Formats: sequence, C-alpha cells, structure tokens
Amino acid sequence: GDLGPFNPGLPVEVPVWLAINLKQRQKCRLIPPEWMDVEKLEEIRDQERKEDTFTPMPSPYYMELTKLLLNYASDNIPKADEIRTLVKDTWDTRLAKLRLSADSFVRQQEAHAKLDNLTLMEINTTGTFLTQALDHMYKLRTNLQPGESAHSQDF
Amino acid sequence: GPDSDGGSEELVLTPAQLIRSLEQAWLNEKFAPELLESKPEIIECVVEQLDHMEANLKRAKREDLKVSVHRMEIERIRYVLSSYLRCRLVKIEKFFPHVLEKEKSRTEGEPSILSPEEFAFAKEYMANTETYLKNVALKHMPPNLQKVSLLKSVPKPNLDSFVFLRVLERQENILVEPETDEQREYTIDLEEGSQHLIRYKTIAPLVASGAVQLI
Repeated sequence: GDLGPFNPGLPVEVPVWLAINLKQRQKCRLIPPEWMDVEKLEEIRDQERKEDTFTPMPSPYYMELTKLLLNYASDNIPKADEIRTLVKDTWDTRLAKLRLSADSFVRQQEAHAKLDNLTLMEINTTGTFLTQALDHMYKLRTNLQPGESAHSQDF
Repeated sequence: GPDSDGGSEELVLTPAQLIRSLEQAWLNEKFAPELLESKPEIIECVVEQLDHMEANLKRAKREDLKVSVHRMEIERIRYVLSSYLRCRLVKIEKFFPHVLEKEKSRTEGEPSILSPEEFAFAKEYMANTETYLKNVALKHMPPNLQKVSLLKSVPKPNLDSFVFLRVLERQENILVEPETDEQREYTIDLEEGSQHLIRYKTIAPLVASGAVQLI
C-alpha cells in the first residue's frame, strides 16, 4: 500500500503492524484511538452489563488494539491501567453472554444465528469449539437413524 | 495494475485490491470444510507483484526505514500466500480420492478446484498411498480382501459443518433447513455487513460467488 509522508512532529496514519514496529524501534509515539478513553469505556462497560444483547463496539478490533497498544505503547496512553481493566471487564461480560448463547444454540438445535455486534476476536475465541461441538452433535444425531444419509465411515 | 495472462477474464486490480482478494480467498479456504475453487489469477498476480517489489528493493538506495518497511510488507504478503497454499494442500491430502473424483467428473464450463500443479500432486499422492497400502497390508491379506476402494474409505468433507460468515452482497430468501423433525424450514435475508452462523451446505454457492466471506 501507500504510506506516508513521514514528517517529524506531524501525525500520520499507518497500519497497526507498522506502528508497533516503529514504536519498538523508538522512532515514534503512538496516538491512541478516540474511544480508548476512561469515560467512554466506562459507558460501554455499563451498557454491556445492563443489556442482554451485544453492544456495538467502537472498533471491530477493540480487543486486539487494546492489547497491542497497552503492551507496546502504554507510555503513550493516559490511565493505561484503568483502560486495561475496563476493556477486560467488557470482554468478560461479552464472552459470558456468548457462552450462554452458544449453549442455548446447541440445546435448542438451532440452524442459524445472527451475530452482528460480535467482533472477530470473540467469534474466533469460541468459534472453533462451537463448530466442532455442533459437528459432533450432528454426527451423533444422524447415526441414530441408520439407513438415512449416515455413512459409517465418516469420522 | 497487474493483468492476468492465460485466463479467459481480464483481471485488472490495484495492488491493494489484489491483496484484499488474496486475503478473502485465504480466509474462505481456511474456514470452508471442502477444497474451494483454485484461484490461479490471484496467485499469479500476487507472485508477480512480490517479484516486482523485490526487484524495486534491490534497486533502492540503502534508506533504512523505507527498505525495512517494504521488506516487512513483502514478508506479510508472502505469509498469507504460503498459508493459503498450505491450507489447500492439507485439504488435498485429507480428501484426495474425492478431490480427484470431483476434478475428473467436472464438466467443461465448470471452474477447476485444482491447479495443474495441485492436480499432479494429488495424483501422485493417491498413487503413492495405494502402493504403500498394498505393500504394507493388502498383499498380505487373503485374496478376497485385497481390494480397497479409497473413494469409499477415505472420509468425505463434512459439508454440514457450521461456519461463521459476513455478508458482502445482500441476499434474499436463503432457505434454512430444520435440525429436528419438529422444526420447520424458514427463509432468512442476509443483509450486507451482517454476520451469521449457519451450515456450510446452505451457503456454499454464495462463498464461491463472493457474496459472503467466511470468518
């Protein structure tokens, strides 16, 4: 892609991988995104705890960005520790909801679910487990009825 | 932008679009239970692009920052490309008799799921497996048990697996089949930008057409 221009003292937008790399080489200072602010994150955490549904997050990569920025550039983030705790609390609440949803999905043998406000990180944290569990359930169920499309060699 | 040669379609994409296509193909391949169509145009163009970038780097002055940034970019793209090709090879090895059968029974206009190199690899893999099985086990069996149909014994990809997807192009009236006898089938609309969990079989054609992206 196209990057730059890089002028000293002037902020420039770059992909995260480059930002982290430059920061590690002590060539720059990182500027946190607008939503990475204690008040905003408190609002989000509270809303997440209040509602049964998933709150839309300010960034589809909120977890990844928080982890990366707090690991490599915490000196550029005001109130870094509070932010870390707030994001973790929100994440924990969301994952708990996700686990409940997944449980009910499997129990009620649903065929479809809409997951608009989930971020990729959340989906991939539980996703493999959930899809494999669903596969096992499917195999157990179809093998109950011999003579259907069940293939005994499908393991 | 890079043009594809040898294909029936002219593919003119900006480098950014090309990499985006590669990433989409990579993710789809990663999360799909079966081997997807091969994408020779994308691979060819990406390799060309990488060669181009390498050549530029060789010619560039020893400007530490610029050179290292471009080098990182090349490594990142190369990683995605390797991961994509490796993912395909894993599936080819896992489902080899079915992959070959599908390719052999393909009709004229249908797109290929194997590149010529992958096809050669699959055939060799099958031949080697058959020979190995015969020499290690089958020839020591009683005569009436010496034949094994790999097509019947090697498990097929499970197209009923659930997958996660994001909708790129709005789709209407997708039929959702019931899981149990008590449930009824129903249809759903897939809004652009929405995310879903659903059986692969239902949406397989949408993956092939690029209307949805597996995540």
